[in-house]
Amino acid sequence: MNGVHERLNTIIGEFADLDGREKLELLLDFASGLPPLSAEHQARKGTEDRRVHECQTPVFLWAEATDGNARLIAEVAPEAPTVKGFVAILADAINGRPVAEAVTLPDDMLERMGLADVLGILRSRGLRAILARVKRELAGKAQASS
Amino acid sequence: MPDYASPDVLVSTSWVAEHLTDPSVRIVESDEDRALYTQGHIPGAVEIDWQVDLQNQVVRDYIDRAAFEKLCAERGISNDTTVVFYGDKNNWWACYAFWVFKLYGHKDCRVMDGGRKRWELDGRAWSNDRVGYPHGHYKAVEQDGTIRALRDEVLKHQRAGKQLLDVRSPEEYRGERTHMPDYPNEGAVRGGHIPGANNVPWPMNCNDDGTFKTAKELEKLYIRELKMKRRSPTIAYCRIGERSSLTWFVLKFLLGFGNVKNYDGSWLEWGNCVGVPIVKGAAPGGAAATVAPTSAGASASHAS
Repeated sequence: MNGVHERLNTIIGEFADLDGREKLELLLDFASGLPPLSAEHQARKGTEDRRVHECQTPVFLWAEATDGNARLIAEVAPEAPTVKGFVAILADAINGRPVAEAVTLPDDMLERMGLADVLGILRSRGLRAILARVKRELAGKAQASS
Repeated sequence: MPDYASPDVLVSTSWVAEHLTDPSVRIVESDEDRALYTQGHIPGAVEIDWQVDLQNQVVRDYIDRAAFEKLCAERGISNDTTVVFYGDKNNWWACYAFWVFKLYGHKDCRVMDGGRKRWELDGRAWSNDRVGYPHGHYKAVEQDGTIRALRDEVLKHQRAGKQLLDVRSPEEYRGERTHMPDYPNEGAVRGGHIPGANNVPWPMNCNDDGTFKTAKELEKLYIRELKMKRRSPTIAYCRIGERSSLTWFVLKFLLGFGNVKNYDGSWLEWGNCVGVPIVKGAAPGGAAATVAPTSAGASASHAS
């Protein structure tokens, strides 16, 4: 399996070549590929504080590390396909890959995908907050296991 | 749409369904999540995005008159077009776009009651076709200062004890929530509300299906409970002037308030200004104690 950055660069490259409308269509493709929560996480959703409060729409996420590999699990309301698509991209890039690489996800990925201009300043800021949250949690997990 | 002050300004989903190909009508979608339009929109509807299309990308302001004219022309909108707005989240952003169109003097603006949610509940079709129209001819007027309040005017208004409405959540109003983690540049430095402002969180204007509450219910809320007066000048605000455009719409067109403005600088400006008065807690406080009953905060806090 290739690394986090290699996989992310492939995704960034796919987005970068598209026009605004096509970028949103690709984002929707990613969104529809985000798997539903497992029964275990569905149950944990009710008992743990996994809500991302930075987001206006309901987003629940877990950034986990098993044997040094990252796993992002999330549920995003269907009325927020942009957030859902972005989370699905992060999961695609890091799942099953080393946490040590996942914590170095680039902060400027939205700009490089050309999505920052399509989404506007405030929405992009919301997505960056999710990226920061995922990296922060993974960094905590990496520290705990080292 | 009986009993509203300006009933023609609201149209039903069936009205829209009957006017999908009417060349004098342009249907405009404005969403919080703009991928929703890409996913599926009302057949023939164009998109106007509140962040990318309506906001100036450099100065914190709306687009200027020339940019507004260009935007309308590109969407196939002319001065005499009937523009019908709809969107997600109780038509929150649809009302925002509606307000900007009124700011530049567009005559015939409507809102589709219930927005995306009602269209979906009514089982109507979505389309993901790319939509384009021949360019319209558009000449806008200078901004209409009678619907937009700027900071200095809000300060004078507050000092004079005139009607102010804070439409944010009770937590924001009371000043318990000031800034959000990972939003270092978006939060206001101080929390609370403008002294004298009543708190009516914006979702209180709407039903679960996204439609507006009846004239009777809205009258009860604003006029009977809060004792607001239709003839008194009123300013509504929220965090960045988005949620308050919906309340502005309700007060002006559904309840018939004669003089109501949206303060688009809102808390993101006020809560960062040096020296402006702020009150924390559930009571309106401030110069407008005679206008704002002390029960205002309490009556709003159980609502959302």
